[in-house]
Amino acid sequence: MKKFLYSLALACAVLSSCDIEPLYIESDLRWKKYEPQTLQPTHTIRELSQMYQPGKPFVVNRDLIVGGQVVSTDQPGNFYKSLFLQDETGGLELKIGRNGLYNDYKQGQWVYVNCRDLSIGMYGYKTGSYGGSGMVQIGFSDPTGEYETSYIESPLLVNTRIIRGEQGTMPEPVAVESSGQLPKSSDSQATHSLLGRLVTLRGLYYAKETFVLLYLDSTKDKKLYTNRVFLSDTNGATGDDKTHGITTWAMSKSKMTEYLCAGLWDDCKVGSGSTFTGQTLADFRGDGSYPGVEKAAYSVSQYFTMGQTSIQVRTSGFCKFADLEMPADVLSGRRALDMTGVLTIYQGSLQLVVNSQDDWRYSDTGKKLYER
Amino acid sequence: MIKRLVLTLVTLFAVLTPATAQLPSGGIKGTVINRADRSPVTGAKVEIFKEGRPSGIVSTVQDGTFLLEGYDRGDWMIMVTAQGYLPVQLNVTLSGGVRDLFNIGLTPTKAVENPEDGSDFMEFDLADTGYSDAPTVLFSDDVYSSIVGYSFGSVRFKNRGYNSESQDVLLSGIKLNDALTGYSPWSLWSGLNEITRSKATTNSMEASDYALGGYNGVTNIFANPSSVRRGLRVSALTNSAMYRLRLMLTYASGKKDNGWSYAFSASGRFGGNDWIQGVFYRSLAYYAGVEKTFGDAHTLSLFTFATPGIRGTQNASTQEVYDLMGDNMYNSNWGYQNGKRRNSRMRKTFEPITVLKYEFTPSDRFRSMTTLLWRTGKNGYTALDWYDAQDPRPDYYRNLPSYAYMEEEDIDRSNPDKADWMRYAWTASGSEFDKYRHVDWDHLYDVNASSPDGRSKYAQEERHVDQNDINLAESIKWRASDLFTLTAGVTLKWNRTENYKQICDLLGGKYFLNIDSFAERDFAVSEARVQNDLDYWIRHGEAEKITTGGKYGYDYIAQVRRAGLWANGAFHKGGFDASVGVSAGYDAFWREGLMRKGLFAGTDDAGRDIIIDGVNLTTRDSKGRVVTSKGKSEVSRFFTGSAKAFAGYTFVGGHRIWADAGFFNDAPTFNEAFVSPRTRNTLMDGLTTKKTLSGDINYQFSHKGYNARLSLYYTRIWDQSDVMSFYDDSQHSFTNFAMTGISQRHMGLELGVSVPLPLQGLSISGVLSLGEHIYNSRPHMVQTIDNSAEIIRDEEVTWWDRTPIYKIAGYSPEGTPIYDQDINGNFIITGYKKHYVAGSPQVAAQLSLNYNIRYWFFEINGQCFARSFLDMNPLYRTDYACRGGDANPGIIEEMTAQEEFAPAFLLNASVGKSWFVKGNQLGFSLSLNNMTNNKNVKTGGYEQTRLIASSGKDRYYRFDPKYFYMPGFNYMLNLYFRF
Repeated sequence: MKKFLYSLALACAVLSSCDIEPLYIESDLRWKKYEPQTLQPTHTIRELSQMYQPGKPFVVNRDLIVGGQVVSTDQPGNFYKSLFLQDETGGLELKIGRNGLYNDYKQGQWVYVNCRDLSIGMYGYKTGSYGGSGMVQIGFSDPTGEYETSYIESPLLVNTRIIRGEQGTMPEPVAVESSGQLPKSSDSQATHSLLGRLVTLRGLYYAKETFVLLYLDSTKDKKLYTNRVFLSDTNGATGDDKTHGITTWAMSKSKMTEYLCAGLWDDCKVGSGSTFTGQTLADFRGDGSYPGVEKAAYSVSQYFTMGQTSIQVRTSGFCKFADLEMPADVLSGRRALDMTGVLTIYQGSLQLVVNSQDDWRYSDTGKKLYER
Repeated sequence: MIKRLVLTLVTLFAVLTPATAQLPSGGIKGTVINRADRSPVTGAKVEIFKEGRPSGIVSTVQDGTFLLEGYDRGDWMIMVTAQGYLPVQLNVTLSGGVRDLFNIGLTPTKAVENPEDGSDFMEFDLADTGYSDAPTVLFSDDVYSSIVGYSFGSVRFKNRGYNSESQDVLLSGIKLNDALTGYSPWSLWSGLNEITRSKATTNSMEASDYALGGYNGVTNIFANPSSVRRGLRVSALTNSAMYRLRLMLTYASGKKDNGWSYAFSASGRFGGNDWIQGVFYRSLAYYAGVEKTFGDAHTLSLFTFATPGIRGTQNASTQEVYDLMGDNMYNSNWGYQNGKRRNSRMRKTFEPITVLKYEFTPSDRFRSMTTLLWRTGKNGYTALDWYDAQDPRPDYYRNLPSYAYMEEEDIDRSNPDKADWMRYAWTASGSEFDKYRHVDWDHLYDVNASSPDGRSKYAQEERHVDQNDINLAESIKWRASDLFTLTAGVTLKWNRTENYKQICDLLGGKYFLNIDSFAERDFAVSEARVQNDLDYWIRHGEAEKITTGGKYGYDYIAQVRRAGLWANGAFHKGGFDASVGVSAGYDAFWREGLMRKGLFAGTDDAGRDIIIDGVNLTTRDSKGRVVTSKGKSEVSRFFTGSAKAFAGYTFVGGHRIWADAGFFNDAPTFNEAFVSPRTRNTLMDGLTTKKTLSGDINYQFSHKGYNARLSLYYTRIWDQSDVMSFYDDSQHSFTNFAMTGISQRHMGLELGVSVPLPLQGLSISGVLSLGEHIYNSRPHMVQTIDNSAEIIRDEEVTWWDRTPIYKIAGYSPEGTPIYDQDINGNFIITGYKKHYVAGSPQVAAQLSLNYNIRYWFFEINGQCFARSFLDMNPLYRTDYACRGGDANPGIIEEMTAQEEFAPAFLLNASVGKSWFVKGNQLGFSLSLNNMTNNKNVKTGGYEQTRLIASSGKDRYYRFDPKYFYMPGFNYMLNLYFRF
């Protein structure tokens, strides 16, 4: 009996000996905290941009480090999967390709990018008299050639190439008082320091023009002209009013449905460029719910002018302030706005993307358009 | 693991072997009891054999006891037979003194043991392995049921392919299948094996003494103190596939002279295992009961038990992930925190059950049993929750190489360099890569800690299903004459289950905001609509900040009421047995929402629309009904009725034939009825009762150690419903998918054989289960957007029950098939492939060699499993997922096909030994499972509900399915004492 007892104790002790690693069960606030790092940049953003030749994206195969402060946030949803860094020479987009970036990369925080294995390319470059420059970006190579860079996405690459530094204060936006300070259509970050940076454009007047690209079915090929409807100055606009009845900065799904079902776009033709199907959106009205048109959130470009220069204010339909109504005195063109956002260029056209609704202020009073 | 096992075995055998040869000679005694109700069997014949020759015979007296005296040391075999019971054969080794075999259970001829519940494997008192997967010993009456029940658990074999809801599990006469889902409730008494060992089980449609039952048997666990085996039992168990250690201690007084009985038990299961990292147990169990018999007729029992504990769970992954990790046992649920493995998904349970039972037995012809049972407590399941942050799951599809590159050119994933980077993170050696392969807890804490006002973006939620369940049951058994016995009963159930989730851990943050992140996708601009608790938001002007323990997300009560009547008349004359039973029931259930969600605000207390900032938040469905998340829903009521019949004949010589038939009408469960119970009160349209028609015919032979059973069965189940919620890529929305009209057909053959070989104690046995369990209807589905209740599809699931095979006319130069068309341009279908009910192999076989001598037992068996299928996702079987309908045969074939798992072969062995020392029993059992270390046996899985659009957006592809695998070689060692 004793022997058996001993054997039992021994067998249990051996076989049920502790697991190799301890298990967590109780609440524990101890974890390995991330320590901010500081790298020495080898290049400024302008120098990096100058390395890019139009139409020739390249993969960096050495330790090429740029650094800057984060000036964008995807928290309200107007930036998506990427962030903008700026240093004293300019700014650029870092195409990370992940959600909730503001949790890791906060506005004003220093970030260093070792571009080794990453790709430098441009988005929005177009040749010809109606074209112009686009924006130099850091991303990953895109073997399809559809774009010059793709999102980085790989968590390993993101963590090892994009180094989070110390939290700094948010850079003050560069005030732009006149159109003469603005980049020209042929400018890029290599030639103009405002591109990709946080700026405040003062005295913008509404141009009573919008641009939206709708898709009848977003699950079908978005490049098919039969699936596209452009709400633009050449399609569905009448007279000087090229707004298509859109009075918000963008359109959430419910707002888009409201606009659509109000029949505001009935005259808009289905098709793109000069190729149309012969249908208009009125042909999809059905019982009034437009069953042939998918309801979804849409980005809107609202056009403003600074002097003679047109600025597109791009706002996402998924952001929290998409459906904010533009004030009547702004819509009428009577009152000017100051807007703070990241200045970019697309095919030679200037665009501004704001971080939040607080970035819109009246020029005359300095008050926010939308008090919270 | 192997080293530890070998070391232990060597030690064990070295120590134990000499202990066997020192015992004196004597006889055998014991008590023969009815296994169904533990009553003594009077007049049973107990015959003793030496090397096949009879050496003596005695009969049991009134209390079921017997004594065989004057037999030499050595190996003997005894055979116990009694009218109306299946015979039992036991091998006994006499070493001196009178061997007490304690209770020997006899199975009534119409109630064959089926220990497939996984919590027990034998009723004999001769050995006490005490573990669900321990090897069987010595003998079993129904060779098919005992082998299948004990040996096939590793592949999740289901009897006749039926789901677990179809098996009625009773505790002291109360049906304890989950009130909301119907699932069998075995986990409620895990670790209390000694307490729940005593049970009466019937197979198939055979009526029980305690309930009419359905088509998949009835198990009634007695659990009252006097049913627990008398004495003190202690066991220690270790195994390598589940948990490291189980300790169990049980004491039962048995029925004392003064009429009192009491029993208690405590056990604990601890640790992880050798195969699945992150899985662990820290579970306790307790039981305490007291019983008093007043006079000869009245017995009152009171007992309570629970299994408080925490258990880390396993997650399924895609084959891509398993291949990247080089490990089919990979578990994505855990990661390192502060040097410890932490599992994000843990089951936390504490659900005490208290039972008061009164039995009235005025004569041996009448027995009445009244039971009142109360179940309460908490049942939580943790998971990660996050808001506006990266998906923290390491095997999230965007973290995998296939998200960047797939060989299929039609899919726009063509970046091999990016895929290499993703692959490297999974495959590189070094602990610095752990955060890419496991949950990166450090990052979650970092994000929360750096949140400006302490708002947690990541949290560990705990989803609760907390039941309050009160049951009352009364059953009688009246043996009106030797020819006729009536059993009947009435049951009442009151169930109130609160479903909610609460914050379990804020992971370094200070609060979690109570808003609906899914609603925000469509209503980011509407602060009211994204509120999980709109009432709070209206009162305070902001969303509630939830701290640890606070409820959030959803909170509703499922109310269930049930009442039932049943009766069964059994006839017995000579070798003929027959019974007819009927039941009638009433089921009602409804939902009571406790939280008003902004999405489905409903109306205010005065029935007025809720309008905030000029926006009407009150929504109505297509029939004009208000859709609401708060308050009481419509009450669903169902009246049900079932009937079953049995007839059998036992011939001289151990032959028996019998047949069962039944029609069953069951109400849908709460969880099958509501479209999206977390968000609203909406019931599925077209709900009706589930119908089942079933029959089987059986032959059994049991004589002189030869045992065989052959059964043929046929079951048809129809009018079933199901509901699921998932993100539909074609809609860019979270959707609810409600199906009605699901039908299944199960038919097959069961064969079990046990044959003694010329060497005493040596036998060979085998089983074969050959089934075809298929879907045979095209259900109707209604798909709604979860955020709006908008119906987006209302149609047939065209390819739910079959995959078409199209006629191929030839092949293109690229090798793609060209499908033949008829004169009308329709593609020609040449046949169909059936779709099978998943979850269990439809072909299963085992061949075993058993040897029992001098209380040693040895077994080696080979098992083969085949025709297992992956659980199907109905989305892939819809016309819209197959895009183009009949116009694209290749896509239809690809999208609708059902995966069949590769057949599996397993080799297992077991050994055990019992000793009797000074009236005490001690012993061990050791089982070695999957000795060929086959790590590629899929035991289950499911298809994901996601779709990948082709680059031209002209068709969809499937996401990879997720699988579960069986562990490789594993062992279980159990050591036990009985005093």
